[in-house]
Amino acid sequence: MNGEVLLEVRGLEKSFGGHKVLRGIHTQIRRGEVVAIIGPSGCGKSTFLRSLNLLETPTGGSVLFEGKEITAPGVDVDEVRQKIGMVFQQFNLFANLTIRDNITLAPVKLGLMGKEEAGRRAMELLERVGLPEKADAYPAMLSGGQKQRIAIARSLAMNPDVMLFDEPTSALDPEMVGEVLGLMRELAKDGMTMVVVTHEMGFAREVASRVLFIDEGVICEENAPEEFFGNPKNQRLREFLSKVL
Amino acid sequence: MQKIIDEFSLNFIEDDRYRYILEGLGNTVLISFLAALVGIALGFLVAIIRSNHDKTGHMKAANAVCRVYLTVVRGTPTMVQLLIIYYVVFASVNVSKVFAAVAAFGLNSGAYVAEIVRSGIMSVDEGQFEAGRSLGLNYRKTMRYIVMPQAFKNVLPALGNEFIVLLKETSISGYIGLTDLTHGGDIIRGITFSAFMPLILVALIYLLMVTVLSYGVNRLERRLRANER
Ligand SMILES: Nc1ncnc2c1ncn2[C@@H]1O[C@H](COP(=O)(O)OP(=O)(O)OP(=O)(O)O)[C@@H](O)[C@H]1O
Ligand SMILES: [Mg+2]
Repeated sequence: MNGEVLLEVRGLEKSFGGHKVLRGIHTQIRRGEVVAIIGPSGCGKSTFLRSLNLLETPTGGSVLFEGKEITAPGVDVDEVRQKIGMVFQQFNLFANLTIRDNITLAPVKLGLMGKEEAGRRAMELLERVGLPEKADAYPAMLSGGQKQRIAIARSLAMNPDVMLFDEPTSALDPEMVGEVLGLMRELAKDGMTMVVVTHEMGFAREVASRVLFIDEGVICEENAPEEFFGNPKNQRLREFLSKVL
Repeated sequence: MQKIIDEFSLNFIEDDRYRYILEGLGNTVLISFLAALVGIALGFLVAIIRSNHDKTGHMKAANAVCRVYLTVVRGTPTMVQLLIIYYVVFASVNVSKVFAAVAAFGLNSGAYVAEIVRSGIMSVDEGQFEAGRSLGLNYRKTMRYIVMPQAFKNVLPALGNEFIVLLKETSISGYIGLTDLTHGGDIIRGITFSAFMPLILVALIYLLMVTVLSYGVNRLERRLRANER
């Protein structure tokens, strides 16, 4: 691994009221990496991921993006988020907008592109995710798998440097999981830096360059997938893997 | 038959008495329309301040002012508010009765619109807001382009209903000596000592206006919903 460090997490902590969810997370994410995050339900995977783009405000430690501390006071969070895409478990497509407008809204309203240019780019992205015929449809008319592919296209429209995925296939019917994972595989192959919270061990094994296991608020184990799955050292990770594999 | 024609002529034709109805109708429409505009402006403002405070913790002072306003308006009868606005607030300044009525009904309606719109904002899934923010849109743009349009659509029936209530509520304007539709009809009754025709006509005109309003709201709602199927 020798790409430049995109995200650096130093001693990240997060409490909700008195409930300490993250207890000091340290890690780095380099350009081109695909990092899979696994762990038992409720261990703080989403909280960790959402701290990376400050949808959750950390209560301790710091996050650096491209060398700049984004948890410091006075940082323009909105500007940082333009470069960090996020894909949600529940898709969260804008229900009031057509698919095309879902994709063009942010680039246009943020003044990055004119409406026409953004429209052309949206069509390119729709071709890429295999749904060009849905440009004028509304989200409610799509299947779950289609929604998630559009959500990925919407993220890509901002040309992010890194993309965060929070269980992108967990809300999908089984027959639609493949189309979304397939698209994510392609993104990985094209060199996109990705941080993926997932329960899809197959995906983690085949696509990830590194896998993290979070439990009780810390990273318990962190390794390349062959070693991670083939020779797990942490006791809790072994128990976890024996249950899910 | 002749009796009905005589009654009609007595109540509306003689001395051009229909003019009381016309003048009253004009005032009712004018007051309702302007008060609705004031109510929408005020209501959205208050709702935006309140939900901004709930979401971000900012705007503490403004939020406190809004809460006092909502408590007072919703905790006192509209008629008392109208009387206070006209006889107390505007006692020493010479404003027209229509202006006082617009102020009173607008202030009143604003409180109800505010709570309707706030409930609409809360009804929009948090994920919509987070998706907007995650793309780099700031709070304001996310609210404007994503949350508010959906909130508005969700509360359109309730808003329509509020304006129907407002229209009917302006019928208490007679208490500050203003000739609205109700008072206009009542003036005729006072002159002719014949209650049936003027009051029934007044009722029919309200009914017609409310029907047209409901129809309009329904159509608008259906048009906005069209894109969800
Ligand atoms: N906004 C919040 N307020 C209070 N507690 C929260 C909040 N968000 C998360 N938590 C708590 O923090 C803990 C970690 O939640 P998180 O969603 O990060 O877990 P997760 O690992 O993503 O779980 P899952 O696999 O179920 O998605 C949980 O106990 C949860 O109840
Ligand atoms: Mg989660």
